[in-house]
Amino acid sequence: MRPRSQPTPKRLQAASIAAVCGLILLAPAFAGELTVAQVQGRVVYGKWCAPCHDPGITHPGTHALTVKYQGVKSGVLLEWTDLPPAMVRMLVRHGISVMPQFRKTEITDAELETLAAYLSRNTRQ
Amino acid sequence: MKLPPGVKPKEFSSALAEFEQAVGKQWVFTSDEDVDLYRDAYSPFLHEAEERVASAAVAPSSTEEVQQIVRTANRYRIPLYAISTGKNLGYGGSAPAYSGCVVVDLKRMNRILEVNEANAFALVEPGVSYFDLYHHIRQRNLKVWIDCPDPGWGSVVGNAIDRGGGYTSANYRNHFDSHCGMEVVLPNGELLRTGMGAIPNAKTWQQYKSGCGPWIDGIFSQSNFGIVTKMGFWLMPQPEAYLRCTVSLSHYRDLGPLVETLNYLENARITSGFPDIASPLNGYPPIGQIQLLFENGPPTMTEEHKKLLGEVKLGYSGELEAYGLKAGIAYWELWLSFHGPMEVIEAQWQAAQRHFAKIDGARFRIVDRLSLPIDPAKAEQYHEPEFGIPSLRAFSIGARTPWNPTPSKGHMWFSPIIPRTGEAIIEANRVFSEAARDLGMPLFGTFTLPACFWERSFIFILATPVTEDPATNKRYREGFQKLIEIGGQHGWGEYRTAPVFQKAVMDVYSFNDHALRRFHETLKDAIDPNGVLSPGRYDIWPKHLRGTQS
Repeated sequence: MRPRSQPTPKRLQAASIAAVCGLILLAPAFAGELTVAQVQGRVVYGKWCAPCHDPGITHPGTHALTVKYQGVKSGVLLEWTDLPPAMVRMLVRHGISVMPQFRKTEITDAELETLAAYLSRNTRQ
Repeated sequence: MKLPPGVKPKEFSSALAEFEQAVGKQWVFTSDEDVDLYRDAYSPFLHEAEERVASAAVAPSSTEEVQQIVRTANRYRIPLYAISTGKNLGYGGSAPAYSGCVVVDLKRMNRILEVNEANAFALVEPGVSYFDLYHHIRQRNLKVWIDCPDPGWGSVVGNAIDRGGGYTSANYRNHFDSHCGMEVVLPNGELLRTGMGAIPNAKTWQQYKSGCGPWIDGIFSQSNFGIVTKMGFWLMPQPEAYLRCTVSLSHYRDLGPLVETLNYLENARITSGFPDIASPLNGYPPIGQIQLLFENGPPTMTEEHKKLLGEVKLGYSGELEAYGLKAGIAYWELWLSFHGPMEVIEAQWQAAQRHFAKIDGARFRIVDRLSLPIDPAKAEQYHEPEFGIPSLRAFSIGARTPWNPTPSKGHMWFSPIIPRTGEAIIEANRVFSEAARDLGMPLFGTFTLPACFWERSFIFILATPVTEDPATNKRYREGFQKLIEIGGQHGWGEYRTAPVFQKAVMDVYSFNDHALRRFHETLKDAIDPNGVLSPGRYDIWPKHLRGTQS
């Protein structure tokens, strides 16, 4: 619901221009900033993941992961640095624990790619 | 590729080709990988062959496409199963009641066609979730509230036609009751509008419920007589203020008078919000605060209190009552909320206190006084649905927490309706706790309190976990069926259930040699002679499958 780093209109505009020119899909528009795909993925995250995975124990996914990892790593998905895109795809399409799988009418394959790009943005690939 | 039962591969291929023509190739799903996405994520048949699964899925984006799909299904005798957002978790999810059905996934029909602030109503398609409708209203700053169940990603239409409930005022909490007008694709593909919508160019479709002549909307809920493609709802005008108060009572015997007084006050519209009964002495929170139990852990108790609780019967012992009196812990605590103009709700609270004061030793407390709309940052401190705000916080039930180190794989809701009296609460506890103990079911502990979703009845909402172990799941399924049967013997029935238990539940509704089931079957035969629509939903089977399914 509350993305951690909002893109400024200027950054978005620059990213959009780059996308239109076919220059980028996954490559960052600016060092340390989000690619167009990641910006789109953040919207998918906000709609489908944030209600359970935003920071704080009132979000059951975050609470569950916090307890699972016992301080070894954060319970907040957005802070993970070891979440490869394949893992995002697998979890979204298969679910885990009380989290159900998501159908393609909810998150399309194209949207899933952007979500994976966003959630894996801090993971070395 | 899976085949629907009794359908030849060639016919199925022809039907799928027609589906593709109707909705576009990308919206017909036939690969195992895609069809698996329609499995019930909380299936009580996890890892078992009896799990009910689809053969394919088709996702229309308009009423016309739904009509084409239904006509094709009739041509090739393909069983369909309609879902809205597919998030009916604990009640079947996105899976069919009959294995081999083609799921008609209505998620893409996600248009909010109207939100009328002046007369507080909305018209939506089945793919619209509570989150969608809430955000639509907030973005436009419209002064209306929705009434939502706990999980906000469910369908407004789907929840209503499965007869779900929410947490605001009594006249909105029953989601089917608060609907006004439907558009339905009948099993032959014909389009029907109910209520005033039956008038071409109707001006009051969402403003007068019944139209003229038989009011048939009810037959499209918990059934398989049509696919609802539009549905109207009455919304609650945004209240100005909110008052949350408690009434605390010290004696076990006070439960009856508490319920009786609450019934009068709510039925007379003196209280307006969701009433919630807790038992601090039994360590039982109000249902609106159950999420706190999972987030922050169970209430702290002295060793003496814990010991006494271990010795109670039906939530009672003289020693526990004496301990409560000594320690100042209420036996019963009723959480009341009021919404409206502050001067009105203050007066309503005064009147409520006057009525409860007739119960010896009643104590009163104002917990919160708020101006509305509530600051969204503050809403998290409350049970959001009581403010018409959807969330997914309820998924802490079953998820991993410090107090639940082994998360479940889902749950099935045991949810019988009982009379709205203190005596019935105690009697249901006696009957179900004895049965659950004998059956080894993790339900009805020391004392369980029902919820006040409905105006004139109580409902228990109890989660039976789905585990990784098929033997445990089998025992729970059999126990669940037995509890349904025992409830029926006492005149209690479930309000809603997952497909796997729909036969057992409908067996209980057996007055006059199952006259109700026979009537459902007469209707089914008349309006769906080919039996293509959602066979088995709520145990209504088409003629050719009747008696062949358990």
